[in-house]
Amino acid sequence: MKVTLFATCIVDMFQSNVGKATVELLERLGCEIDFPESQVCCGQPSYNSGYVKETKEAMKRMINTFIDAEYIVSPSGSCITMFHEYQHIFKGDPVWEPKAKRLAEKSFELTQFIVDVLKIEDVGARFEGSVTYHTSCHMTRLLGVKKAPMILLSNVKGLKFTELPGKEQCCGFGGTFAVKMAQISEQMVDEKVRHVEETGAEYLIGADVACLMNIGGRIDRVGKPIKVMHIAEVLNSR
Amino acid sequence: MAGMIQNRDKFLNQIASRLERPRISSSVERPTWKFQPQYEVLKDATQDELLEVLMEQCKKIHTNIYVTDKKDLATTLNKVVSGYGGGPIVTWKDERFSQWGLDPLLNKEWLAQKIEVYEWDHLKGKENIAKAEKANIGITISEVTLAESGTVVLYSDENKGRTVSFLPATYIALIPKSTLVPRITQAAQKMREIHKKTGHVASCINFITGPSNSADIELNLVVGVHGPVKASYIVINDL
Amino acid sequence: MSMKISTDQFKERVDKGIHDDFMRGAVAGAQDGMGVKRRVATEELGNWEEWRSHGEEIRQHVLENLDYYLEQLSENVAKRGGNVFFAQTKEEANEYIRGVVKKKEAKKIVKSKSMVTEEISLNAMLEQEGCEVIETDLGEYILQIDDNDPPSHIVVPALHKNKEQIREVFTEKLGYTKTSKPEELAWHARQMLRKEYLSADIGITGCNFAVAETGSFSLVTNEGNADLVTALPKTQITVMGMERLVPTFEEMEVLVSLLTRSAVGQKLTSYITVLTGPKEALDVDGPEEFHLVIVDNGRSKILGGEFQSVLQCIRCAACINVCPVYRHVGGHSYGSIYSGPIGAVLSPLLGGYDEFKELPYASTLCGACTEVCPVKIPLHNLLHKHREVIVEKEGKAPISEKLLMKAFGLGAASPLMYKLGSKMAPAAMNPFTVGEKITKGPGPLKAWTDIRDFPAPNKERFRDWFKNREKGGK
Repeated sequence: MKVTLFATCIVDMFQSNVGKATVELLERLGCEIDFPESQVCCGQPSYNSGYVKETKEAMKRMINTFIDAEYIVSPSGSCITMFHEYQHIFKGDPVWEPKAKRLAEKSFELTQFIVDVLKIEDVGARFEGSVTYHTSCHMTRLLGVKKAPMILLSNVKGLKFTELPGKEQCCGFGGTFAVKMAQISEQMVDEKVRHVEETGAEYLIGADVACLMNIGGRIDRVGKPIKVMHIAEVLNSR
Repeated sequence: MAGMIQNRDKFLNQIASRLERPRISSSVERPTWKFQPQYEVLKDATQDELLEVLMEQCKKIHTNIYVTDKKDLATTLNKVVSGYGGGPIVTWKDERFSQWGLDPLLNKEWLAQKIEVYEWDHLKGKENIAKAEKANIGITISEVTLAESGTVVLYSDENKGRTVSFLPATYIALIPKSTLVPRITQAAQKMREIHKKTGHVASCINFITGPSNSADIELNLVVGVHGPVKASYIVINDL
Repeated sequence: MSMKISTDQFKERVDKGIHDDFMRGAVAGAQDGMGVKRRVATEELGNWEEWRSHGEEIRQHVLENLDYYLEQLSENVAKRGGNVFFAQTKEEANEYIRGVVKKKEAKKIVKSKSMVTEEISLNAMLEQEGCEVIETDLGEYILQIDDNDPPSHIVVPALHKNKEQIREVFTEKLGYTKTSKPEELAWHARQMLRKEYLSADIGITGCNFAVAETGSFSLVTNEGNADLVTALPKTQITVMGMERLVPTFEEMEVLVSLLTRSAVGQKLTSYITVLTGPKEALDVDGPEEFHLVIVDNGRSKILGGEFQSVLQCIRCAACINVCPVYRHVGGHSYGSIYSGPIGAVLSPLLGGYDEFKELPYASTLCGACTEVCPVKIPLHNLLHKHREVIVEKEGKAPISEKLLMKAFGLGAASPLMYKLGSKMAPAAMNPFTVGEKITKGPGPLKAWTDIRDFPAPNKERFRDWFKNREKGGK
């Protein structure tokens, strides 16, 4: 199966290990990966700040970049949610709305793609360690992907899972919120870190690089011995 | 006498203009709703099943519930009243008390027990309120009873004072089992039917679900704030 | 009190909120407790999504035909002998009520909880007229005797106060001598308020849902205070926001069910009272005279626009009870009587962007509010819409942010710019990088690194890795 990877700007610039794991994992599951060079950012930072006009140019660029893709897969629930949002942002635009609709139809978050499209529930991974999992807001609430990551994690050999208390609560990232409302964001991420600590898990796993960057950054700052990993890295462990 | 309506046209014209259309001049029909989940609740339950639901719900609303037959109603009521420490009692003026064989209790037995009983009498005006305010127990009859929520429904009129169920320290509702319906949905339908048939709605319809309560202080539940502190329901099986 | 409850700047209010340990504990406890109760009460129905959809379709239908239903309502109220006044502004509403108070020579007024009367600053006007105004909802009563402390939650207004503080206020203002046990405090309030109900000249209420077909309206409480407010005084004034109505009893019951489950996780609250007109000729209790004041106060401006759905709101506070931002800053931080997500959407619409421009940004757009709203208001989308309006129509965004976003837009739209920028990033960030982390970032990054580490840019970008790998064969 041909898969076009949407790596996301954060992965490209800051978390290339997540991108690598995604590529290796999908290849192992029989996919052929393609990475169009002209991809940039989905536009969320400026869109969520209210700069819709400015963002539209970036969105058009992304639509064109992925226009020939059969399946678009990304290791970020939030960025894929944004791809699904495009059709609403272009509502009423005779050219771009239909294009955005097609983009949404073939865009999948990584775990969603593995479970719903590839129909694979056990990727044959082995990961020794106790983990807890952060359910990102956009991925669960807006994209509606709740079960796929749980199914995949439950089939990872050696993995010990503890549910995160208050898992439905936002980690306080929220894009520019993290800097615009830094004081509030700090309180939110602190509570999240406390909850992660309460589980006693060695690893915090997530399917969204941005949330992980936020929670992980705080964990490092306050010096907690908790390691943060993207679910692609866990599923790619053998 | 009809009341006054002031300032209406300017106000409604503004609404119509915001909605970018002329004022609606003909009658609007409610659409066929796409969803009607309210009719699904306890849809095929029998009266006995509804009674079970009611009894279970009473545990959650701090309300004692007794089930009795018409012939034992007086005994049960007497027991509940003494459990609440007796009178003074205030009741609606309602023929059903007599029809259900409560006259001896209301007019003799309690008198003998030195329990003061006052029957609502609109001719006495404000004295009714003073009596209700001093009463230990208020007694009324449920017209419609909602199993799901554990709610009694009362329609006010000149003989059925509103405050009988609010001012006394405790409250007793008599519930003919036949008044049981699944939920508030059926009560609302009935209210609408009555209005359609008679063109009239009682000036006050109360849905009462257990005693008064509040969680306004540190979210601690306090039972008994402005209205009754305790409540009991007596279900009459054969009515 | 008016809609605006503080003259402090947003940042100062947030700072106060974050440092109020009791309030934060209370709010977290309330969210966790009420959140669970709400979830149980909604999930036990088994088809909650259908309930929400029904709630939404009812509210949308009413808003689309609002002029019709308000006309029908007013006709039916008048038919039953009630007076109806349509107030486009808060001044008009206050003026009309002032007239009633004067005519009745009223001295004492009891009120049951009403957000719209807070919105129009009714109490201040009544007090100016020399009336004694007594709030009878326990929470509101506590706030009122504490020198009109503003509410911090639309369902539990005194959530931010602990029982010791309440005991102190009771002792100081009411000569209270007992302990801080909630039962004893509540009992004292009961005794104080009983006297007031019995001696008041006018009772004032809000309105949960008016019913157009019969000219009725419903009041939803647990305490029963609204019943005494409407049963005992000779004159009753009910103030309603113009959108708070339904066609018939059948829709009223659906919305009441949605409200009680969403607000407090109850199937129904202890008292739901449906009133129609003044009392009937021979009735003993109930008001002799009834006035319904229907308030616009900025609502019609919302109709027909992109924010119309906010008028679907039934004031249940479910969104407040799940909001992770409210959780940490509390109600007063919003600076409005309407707090939480609904407050952040509604306050700028009713009170203007100048007063409330920060509120739409006090959200991570996590969507928790939208998910629980029983009438399906897309709250987080509306918060986003506000941001769009602030940036594009109002032009109120800071210049520095505009420049940044312009640059971002260029970078994101142009692969060439992006490639250059991202390639230069490691070098540009080098002075700030320690190991693999940036702990003291420059510019906009500073706000991030004040709190958390930021990853240093990869030496080899993912795209370079991918390209090299393809070149080298697999």
